[in-house]
Amino acid sequence: MDVSKYKTLYLQETGEHISGIETGLLALEKNAGDSSVLDNLFRHYHSIKGMSASMGYEPIALLSHAEEDLLDKMRSGKIAISEEVTSALLKCLDATKALFERVKADEPLDIDISPLVASLKSAAEGRPERPVQPPTAAQPEGEHSLRLSSVMKVEGRLFDDLLATVGDLFMTLSSFKSLTHGSRSVEFKNGVHQLGKSVNSLHDTIIFARMLPLEDLAAGLPRVVRDLAKETGKEVALTTEGMDISLDRTILEGLGSPLVHIIRNAVDHGIEGPDERKVAGKPLPASVHIRANVKKDRVVIEVSDDGRGIDREKLKAKALSKGVSAARVESMTDGEVLKLICLPGLSTAETVTSISGRGVGMDVVKDAVESFGGSLEIESKRYLGTKIILEMPRTSSITKALLVEAGGEQFLVPISRIEKVVELDSGALEYGFYEYAGRDIPIVSLAGCLGIRQEARPRRTLIVLDARGTLGGAGTKSLAGLVVDDFSDEIDAYVKPLLPPISKLRGASGITVLGDGRPVFLLDVPQIISKALKGS
Amino acid sequence: MSKKVLIADDTEFFRTALKDILLGAGYNVVGEASNGAEALDLAAELKPDLVILDVVMPVKNGLEAAKAISALKLPLKIVMCTSLGYEPIVEEAIRSGASGYIIKPLSESKVLNTLSSII
Repeated sequence: MDVSKYKTLYLQETGEHISGIETGLLALEKNAGDSSVLDNLFRHYHSIKGMSASMGYEPIALLSHAEEDLLDKMRSGKIAISEEVTSALLKCLDATKALFERVKADEPLDIDISPLVASLKSAAEGRPERPVQPPTAAQPEGEHSLRLSSVMKVEGRLFDDLLATVGDLFMTLSSFKSLTHGSRSVEFKNGVHQLGKSVNSLHDTIIFARMLPLEDLAAGLPRVVRDLAKETGKEVALTTEGMDISLDRTILEGLGSPLVHIIRNAVDHGIEGPDERKVAGKPLPASVHIRANVKKDRVVIEVSDDGRGIDREKLKAKALSKGVSAARVESMTDGEVLKLICLPGLSTAETVTSISGRGVGMDVVKDAVESFGGSLEIESKRYLGTKIILEMPRTSSITKALLVEAGGEQFLVPISRIEKVVELDSGALEYGFYEYAGRDIPIVSLAGCLGIRQEARPRRTLIVLDARGTLGGAGTKSLAGLVVDDFSDEIDAYVKPLLPPISKLRGASGITVLGDGRPVFLLDVPQIISKALKGS
Repeated sequence: MSKKVLIADDTEFFRTALKDILLGAGYNVVGEASNGAEALDLAAELKPDLVILDVVMPVKNGLEAAKAISALKLPLKIVMCTSLGYEPIVEEAIRSGASGYIIKPLSESKVLNTLSSII
């Protein structure tokens, strides 16, 4: 069982128990007869013991186990509460705290606790012993310095709050900006301009502070691969590249389980057993390679293996058995066939193993990646290997977007998707295609897609978009045109994720509130385009 | 129909770990209690198929909760969950109506094997 994901909870709750113990022991010194204090202390030690044992923090577990025993005896009256006992417990608390700090800092728990445990044991047997010196000297004896470190630890959530505040500032700024259009006051205009610069720089600083390197996530992967390889009897070597690239911590966090899942699939389904690889003349150990690189404001993470690749025929057969029509399956491009693996319940593994194929499949990975505004592509060569390509934004929340209008409603289109904006006679848009850069691209009406009634008008706006992430063909642009009635400003939108139940809404990836208080959806371009083109 | 489970443990750490294991195996976690009294209330209200009770909990401990829940005479099974060293309490719980026990630290196989042998 992978317990590392519970570390945050562990730190939080153990920290609470440690302060509970401190308060309890001090209360015990003042008022030895209070049985509820003893009960609470006992539970604190008991909880720390259980959690630490589960996390594999043995010294903490052993120490709290001895403390718990002692408390149990005090509780039942077998041991009298004395100053010696409480000071021994306080000494142990110092050691627990020191160990806890090491857990926090990911340092080895190499503090020898055996003298402390021995002192607790003899106390539990009613034999007082000389007080034991605490084994760690976090601060040199007698030197209680009060200097503060220049590096500060703060809750990650603080940055979320800060970013939300900056988002509100952006909104206020945009209403000021619209006021400057009608104002003749140069001072006002300059003031708003200056405010804009300050808000932007504040935003940049916060974004920077929220970034963490991919390394932080990847550090746990060698262990995952090792365990999986062991469990499946395969030989696999993991290599990584570009792990120094930083991402917003929320996005990095969100990448964790998709990445593990992709690697599980690769090891469990992709990579062949050693015998099969020898017969096929493939090298041992097999390789799983993770490579990250930066593309504009996004990061591309490729996970490739040199296993057996995806069997298209098997996928098609599965799709048919799941009720996808034969005509539909036959008309699919190779990219679309590979994407079938992301349909719920469509895992090609013949047997459900303990590792993957337990109902949680690539569909979950795809949803997780898309919920962060990312996209997923699959490339696979039969017998040579599979490559899963994730493209994720590096930072979240503030998105440059173009405000557009269709059928009287406003929407936002992410600037990163836009290739070109053109105004055209409505007649030119009737054929379903538009010639762009020497080839015909499909065009889609936004109002039509969303079922909004649209007035006839002589001219409309066509936005040429890159809808990559929908039609297969990883790495290459997939251009399409989106028809809207009109467009207005480019804005810095503080986009909030959609929460249930509107998170089920297809076609929108977030929501923002404009300066005047109106809520506007940010369009999920790949979804809108693919849905419209499939429907036609 | 997936089985409805109520989890009672005073640490969020174990509630979360247990919930992850159960959800991963297709159980439906219908409620979480942080002490024995809450567990009793939720058992009566949610009518789960299974209640997992930690032994050391505030307000009402796991043993007291197991007795009180058994007394409700609901069609449910009780599984005790505790650390090593509490075997006597677990045995008493089993005499008072619990069907099995899990010894912490939790592991997926330990939990799932125990549960599948019971329901």
